[in-house]
Amino acid sequence: MAVVPRGGRSRYGLLLLILTAVTLLTLDFRGFGPLETAQSQVRDVLEPVVSAVDTVLGPVAEVWTVMFSYNDLRDENARLQDEVDRLRSADIRSAAQADAFDRLLSATGVTYVEGIERLTATVLRGSVGNFDDDLVAIDVGHRDGVAPGMAVVTAAGLVGRVETADAVSSTVTTVSDPSLVIGVRLLDSGDVGLGHGMAGDPTRFVVDGGLRWPETGDLSELPAVGSPVVTAAGSRYPADIPVGRVVSVEAAEADLAQVVTVELAADTEDLGYVTVLLQPPAEEAPVGPDSPFAEESP
Amino acid sequence: MTAPQSVPNVMRPRRLLAGDSMILTTLRLMLVYLVALLFQLTFFAEVRVAGVAPELPALVAVLAAVFAGARNGSLIAFLAGLMWDVYLSTPLGLSAIAFALVAHALGVVTEDLVHSTRLRVVVLAFLGTAAMVTAYALLGTVVGGRVLIDDRLLTVVLVASALNALLSVVVAPAMRWAVRSEPMPRKARRREPAERARNRR
Repeated sequence: MAVVPRGGRSRYGLLLLILTAVTLLTLDFRGFGPLETAQSQVRDVLEPVVSAVDTVLGPVAEVWTVMFSYNDLRDENARLQDEVDRLRSADIRSAAQADAFDRLLSATGVTYVEGIERLTATVLRGSVGNFDDDLVAIDVGHRDGVAPGMAVVTAAGLVGRVETADAVSSTVTTVSDPSLVIGVRLLDSGDVGLGHGMAGDPTRFVVDGGLRWPETGDLSELPAVGSPVVTAAGSRYPADIPVGRVVSVEAAEADLAQVVTVELAADTEDLGYVTVLLQPPAEEAPVGPDSPFAEESP
Repeated sequence: MTAPQSVPNVMRPRRLLAGDSMILTTLRLMLVYLVALLFQLTFFAEVRVAGVAPELPALVAVLAAVFAGARNGSLIAFLAGLMWDVYLSTPLGLSAIAFALVAHALGVVTEDLVHSTRLRVVVLAFLGTAAMVTAYALLGTVVGGRVLIDDRLLTVVLVASALNALLSVVVAPAMRWAVRSEPMPRKARRREPAERARNRR
């Protein structure tokens, strides 16, 4: 008599589940449209329920946050007070720097998101999982004209890009995500390079692609610390959105390349409202001899 | 010849769907999972310990394996992971495969447990969640195109597992109700005299 091994049926079942998962993964990697639509529809169906539950449980969560972040809030308050004092003392210098920045922008014919339709959105919630620290949900979707790839900004600068757009909500990958590569221009040196967020530090951005170390060895050709960094004209995003300011410049690859660390202009950790730039995103950033991004699409 | 007596349930029962329609069981499971998912998406998006939230979808998957066995548990875990994937940035199917694999292993390991005591369920919730989160991070890094293994992973695994172990005290009865995995001891005792009388006849 044939003996069916114990657990044989469950193993076949598991094999079937693995095959299903692998199929789904493959389809997802290939950007299979119906799969994305189905996910979007599931989120759309649940969104009213999620919002309602959020409204009910929100105050309870707030109590928890206040209880356990009191010390952090006190420290932050002290830090902000110091910063206010410092800014007061540096008011004149800041005004001069702002003036110089404005003049630099007008000299290069650049304006910050002029002529692009905008849509203000409320941040619904931050990341829901433990591995998605750089995702936020906002309350506008494709019904409002939002599409994946659109730039999301605040008055301070670039916040990120729309990752998925459901009917009435969207998810945004913030600029602090190390896997989100952005084409940027260093206004001081005029160089164009590729940057991304720094793992473990949501306030920093690293430009480590496409920047050559000065062949002459003249360090004055390097971008000055504190100089502005904006999105590049050839990138997927509208040009000249402020990204941040240069914090440090280091040599890499045997003094052949620059690694520029940038302090992000926008605080991606504490977002209340954001603005979506309703400019249809470029499918691919131009690559080639006329593009600043010769090797890799940003 | 003696009449067959009701034998005490020595092997831990795996009675998913026993005495109940599949539709009712599915509806109960959906209800429990939906509540868990809503808490995960709302309350635990804010309430975190050391920046880490519990992993309620993983907890449902672990408890499904413990109460429903390897076969049914891995199917429930797969569906729980698939639904959770809808809200994550990683590719669809990544949580599903991680949850199903761990749930199957957990189901096989716990197949012969005589009793699923509360303490044992808590321990299994901790170990199962740790395995699921680790498997998810590993798979996400290898096939998901995301770097999920970093200095923070150990903290995430330990804190999320500890939180899930605590929450299992609340979620386990709900999952037990949903899959109806345990016999009702009181009803069983009440039925015993009647059964004995029938057997004598």
